[in-house]
Amino acid sequence: MSASPRLQLSPAWVKALPLIGIALLAVAPLLLPEFTVTLLNYIGLYAIVAMGLVLLTGVGGLTSFGQAAFVGLGAYTTATLTTTYGVSPWLTLLVGLALTALVALALGFITLRLSGHYLPLGTIAWGISLYYLFGNVEFLGGHTGISGIPTLGVFGFELHSGREFFYLIWLAVLGVVVLTRNLLDSRSGRAIRALKGGSLMAEAMGVNTPRAKIVIFTVAALYACLSGWLYAHLQRFVNPTPFSLTQGIEYLFMAVIGGVAHVWGALLGAGLITILKQWLQDWLPQLLGQSGNFEIIFFGLMMIFILHRSRDGLWPILLRFVPQAPAAQRVTTVGQPLARRPVVERGQELLSVREATKRFGGLVANNQMSLDVRAGEVVALIGPNGAGKSTLFNGISGVDPLTSGEITFRGERVERLPSREIARRGMSRTFQHVRLLSGMSVLDNVAIGAHLRGDRGYLPAALHLERDEEARLLTEAAYQIERCGLAEHLNDAAGSLPLGKQRIVEIARALAADPCLLLLDEPAAGLRYFEKQALAELLRRLRDEGIGVLLVEHDMDFVMGLADRVVVMEFGEKLAEGLPEDVQRNPAVLEAYLGGVE
Amino acid sequence: MSSPSFASTRLAVLSLALVSLSAFADINVGVSVSATGPAASLGIPEKNTIALLPKTIGGQKVNYIVLDDATDTTSAVKNMRKLVAEDKVDVVIGSTTAPNSLAMTDIAAESETPLISLAGSAIIVEPVDAKRHWVFKTAQNDAHMATAIVEHMLNNKVQTVAFIGFADAYGEGWFKEFAKIAEARKIRIVASERFQRNDTSVTGQALKIIAAKPDAVLIGAAGTPAVLPQKTLKEKGFKGFVYQTHGVANSEFLRIGGKDVEGALLPVGPLVVAAQLPDSAPSKKVALDFITRYETAYGKGTVSAFGGHAWDAGLLLGAAIPQALKKAQPGTREFRSALRDALEGVKNLPAAHGVFNLNAQDHQGFDQRARVMARIEGGTWKLVK
Amino acid sequence: MDLQIALLLGQDGITNGAIYALLSLALVLVFTVTRVIFIPQGEFVAFGALTLASLQTGVLPGTLWLLIGLGAVAGLIDTVFALRDRQLQRIPRILGINLALPLALAGLLANIPLSSLGLPIQVLLTLAVVVPLGPLIYRLVFQPIAEASVLVLLIVAVSVHVTLTGLGLFFFGAEGSRTPSFTDASFEIGDAMIQGQTLLVVAASLTLIVALYLFFERTLWGKALRATAMNRTGARLMGISATMAGKLSFSVAALIGAFSGILISPITTIYYDSGFLIGLKGFVGAIVGGLGSYPLAAAGAVMVGLLESYSSFWASAFKEVIVFTLIIPVLVWRSLTTRHTEEEE
Repeated sequence: MSASPRLQLSPAWVKALPLIGIALLAVAPLLLPEFTVTLLNYIGLYAIVAMGLVLLTGVGGLTSFGQAAFVGLGAYTTATLTTTYGVSPWLTLLVGLALTALVALALGFITLRLSGHYLPLGTIAWGISLYYLFGNVEFLGGHTGISGIPTLGVFGFELHSGREFFYLIWLAVLGVVVLTRNLLDSRSGRAIRALKGGSLMAEAMGVNTPRAKIVIFTVAALYACLSGWLYAHLQRFVNPTPFSLTQGIEYLFMAVIGGVAHVWGALLGAGLITILKQWLQDWLPQLLGQSGNFEIIFFGLMMIFILHRSRDGLWPILLRFVPQAPAAQRVTTVGQPLARRPVVERGQELLSVREATKRFGGLVANNQMSLDVRAGEVVALIGPNGAGKSTLFNGISGVDPLTSGEITFRGERVERLPSREIARRGMSRTFQHVRLLSGMSVLDNVAIGAHLRGDRGYLPAALHLERDEEARLLTEAAYQIERCGLAEHLNDAAGSLPLGKQRIVEIARALAADPCLLLLDEPAAGLRYFEKQALAELLRRLRDEGIGVLLVEHDMDFVMGLADRVVVMEFGEKLAEGLPEDVQRNPAVLEAYLGGVE
Repeated sequence: MSSPSFASTRLAVLSLALVSLSAFADINVGVSVSATGPAASLGIPEKNTIALLPKTIGGQKVNYIVLDDATDTTSAVKNMRKLVAEDKVDVVIGSTTAPNSLAMTDIAAESETPLISLAGSAIIVEPVDAKRHWVFKTAQNDAHMATAIVEHMLNNKVQTVAFIGFADAYGEGWFKEFAKIAEARKIRIVASERFQRNDTSVTGQALKIIAAKPDAVLIGAAGTPAVLPQKTLKEKGFKGFVYQTHGVANSEFLRIGGKDVEGALLPVGPLVVAAQLPDSAPSKKVALDFITRYETAYGKGTVSAFGGHAWDAGLLLGAAIPQALKKAQPGTREFRSALRDALEGVKNLPAAHGVFNLNAQDHQGFDQRARVMARIEGGTWKLVK
Repeated sequence: MDLQIALLLGQDGITNGAIYALLSLALVLVFTVTRVIFIPQGEFVAFGALTLASLQTGVLPGTLWLLIGLGAVAGLIDTVFALRDRQLQRIPRILGINLALPLALAGLLANIPLSSLGLPIQVLLTLAVVVPLGPLIYRLVFQPIAEASVLVLLIVAVSVHVTLTGLGLFFFGAEGSRTPSFTDASFEIGDAMIQGQTLLVVAASLTLIVALYLFFERTLWGKALRATAMNRTGARLMGISATMAGKLSFSVAALIGAFSGILISPITTIYYDSGFLIGLKGFVGAIVGGLGSYPLAAAGAVMVGLLESYSSFWASAFKEVIVFTLIIPVLVWRSLTTRHTEEEE
């Protein structure tokens, strides 16, 4: 970070910043000129919407251009109900939120199935549809709009002026900030953050990713609705134009420019764009001597520039002036140990794979593979590259289901279950290509593994009513990290570790699920000699505890010293199976391996 | 037909200008028009006209603070708040469209600042209630114009009519007004269609209209997009009357429309056909004066009806400000209140689009002298006698 | 609705659909080659139409200044890179293409009687102004982030769209333009008149589609683009540079866009912001084709044209609602049928 140290704030200041911020907000309307207060009001309104986008796009990786439509939903609900039916504005907020939740659930149910780039295109589509719908519905005032929306009253006190409204708006902003931050710093928050890093891993750890997606989609919509409700009562007039796709695009611009992965980025972006827009509208026409949408040209270019130079927006740049947050996630309160799964008796069958076949189009990756794993044994799956070992792993763990065949896990057929259901039954795995969330701490990454051992949902998380469970989860995660010998890396970003250690983090994560069967995909790759020995020692201990281990590995010394049985695959089929020493002497195996080397 | 009271107003203005002492502060006039966005073709001439408004009224220097609201209500409100709070304006002119004007109304009332809208919808000033107390408007009500069309239809034995208009506030406002008046006069509306400003085709709507076999079609659209429906109707063989609204009265419409819009009938303010009006018409002189000034500044053939609304707003101020100056200092609440009263009291003021006669119930103030029927002939507007 | 109306609506739908089809092909091309969802495609339609209109009134179009400006920036950047890499021999070519050519074009346009030239020459000049904007935008905006995710590229594309719309207003003003018909011929079929221009649109679209097909099948460049679309890394190994392919695909997209604009500007009035919705409708077509299949994309686009035409007959106020709501089931169908593997980013 190139910022000069002179500019850095001391930690004490950093701690005091939020308080200073709140104090400044409290006195702002008393000191600032009226129009500045007006601008701050709009900034607050926009920031609430942008905050939803931070959750949705920055954290969850789902891009939406359609948030303005939800703002419209909130605004129109209150406008219609208060003007036509004289309903209290506070009641209409609830109605609006309920209605928005319904619409968001319905839209989300359809559009969140859209993968990758289809989702943003889908949001453009319904953004346009809803906009035209607002304009064409008679009881919503048509294109002309609804005027005469009443002011808000708080305990009999009418919020007439912008200065009075300011407090309500910024209270809402702070509320949304707190909710968002709480939500992200929780079991559910880790589930949400896992979305962007790969739903595959999250699912394998037991996270219901479609549910996580629909939750953040709905939360973002509710934020937008709240903003719309405030907008309607501040403006006291609504018509369709502020809820058009153009505005939806602008909300996304705000979030991206500010820093789409940061809660404060939303605020920064909303502030920057609102003020710049005002400023540009004043100055550019004078400079160019002509009227035009110059500010939009400017914002477009600015977006392009930011996405070229600093894809995370401006907030991370500002953060350079602040010392690294003093490892916020350190486990401070030690929670009660989590409940453990009943131990399976040693020697009992855990996993039985029968005639597993997997085809990719015409290519047969697994053909009639069968194998068993019992509690308290280490089974190694070996074979040349491309033999179909990882494909089989994906089939067993439900990540990429088999084309045909049977998989029985602890006496239950699981080949048609999604991976999170298989995980729930006590199977946990690591990945050949490490799937960690590189920006998140090792502790948080491992805690994702313990996802299924907690049950507090999104709402308690947003309100931080689940601190007790959270402490227990983190304690468990810290214990597994220590057990795997990574205690000193607890708070490091996972991405900063060498690849070998990242593999160990994956094992710790798998262990945090309290599994009875562990699937390890090349756990020793990239480890040094002593690290391999430590890993072997750990696996032996796990075996002695009665856990079954199925591992894919290329390092023959490691495998032969550890495994109780070895299964050899070639071309998707089983070549040999038996004790390590028998397999090593099997001529077919020697042939395959020597042939593979040639 | 220069009325005596008009002459006296003029005299009053003149004498006040001569004798006034510059002890007062400058008068600040805020302007918010839609110079960009969908209503830009209306807003740009309005903005251009503001630059031609008098720099002194009643001996006082007048500052115009012009903002663009990009046809967006949020910006309109933001502009209004800025003008009121930051620039401490005495009066605001704007905005171009009905939704924007409606959105600004609350702040006008809240800050007790007179607002002179340039938009067409009557609901901006009707009924005059506590909020509209502060709102005036210079553009003819859509009802004024719709009445002219309905009269022309009745005179030409039109019994059934189809409507096609913008899917926005303009089209919606026109349909409502027109339908009300037409039905009262027993003209049947057999089809009502909508299209978007930048649609590339209106064939579907045109075919539906033709299938309904109306005697006439009214196109409720503003500016050059109004060409497309007429062109398509003609192509698809519609032979009846085609009526346009005054929203098309600019030279761009004629340029784009070419021979496709020949024969279109439309109600316009006197400004559009000023040169063809009899000398007795009250608006003729004012309108010609405005046209000369505008075209001197922006080139020949550039004038449009919308600039006229802004000009008329200037005329209203020219008549009302001297009255208000007698009562209070610019920049004060009293002045704004006095200005509002003075605006409400303007009588027999000939303007580019008609003659203003305002009162406590009518904050628009035009009568039937504010519109004439015109026909597009030979690529220009011809007065229909 | 009688048969005649149904036929007329069908004809109208096909005319618009033909334009959407052209655009959808360009979108598919750009997406498969560069992974950019080319939202600004529509702006090229508007720029094509409005540039031609301005040439016909004898005014130098604003797009010309944009061309010179972008050329200068691109030339400057490439020169700096060439200096840094000590490849001085490349500089004359860089400056020649990015600076000298646009300036020469400007010089030419300023010195010939634009409005009295024949239509074909005006069309060629329009293309000469608008088409190079495509590769220049690729060079300046997308090439530096060619490896970014589809979502980032999409957001950048939206930013480019917004910028170009703003510039369009600045260059051409709020009023639209309509260019004179290429042909005034019209044919009577039954009671209905069919304008020569609409037939021309369909015919020209078909011709262009065939030309594109030949381009992809028969020419080296076309084959290079196809190779890149199928396998970027493979194509690079074969010596086809991703940059070249990107610029080429943007050139083709700009050509198709500008040409579409020129085709429809006699039928309808084109505004600086008309392109967006036209482009989006082409998009719906492209999405029907899964952003990958040319024939499906074209068929989808024609379907959108027809849907639009019939819905403007039945419920004109809800036309856009109908067209854009119907994308959603298509999207769902698409994302269910597209195999979605581990590449989630």
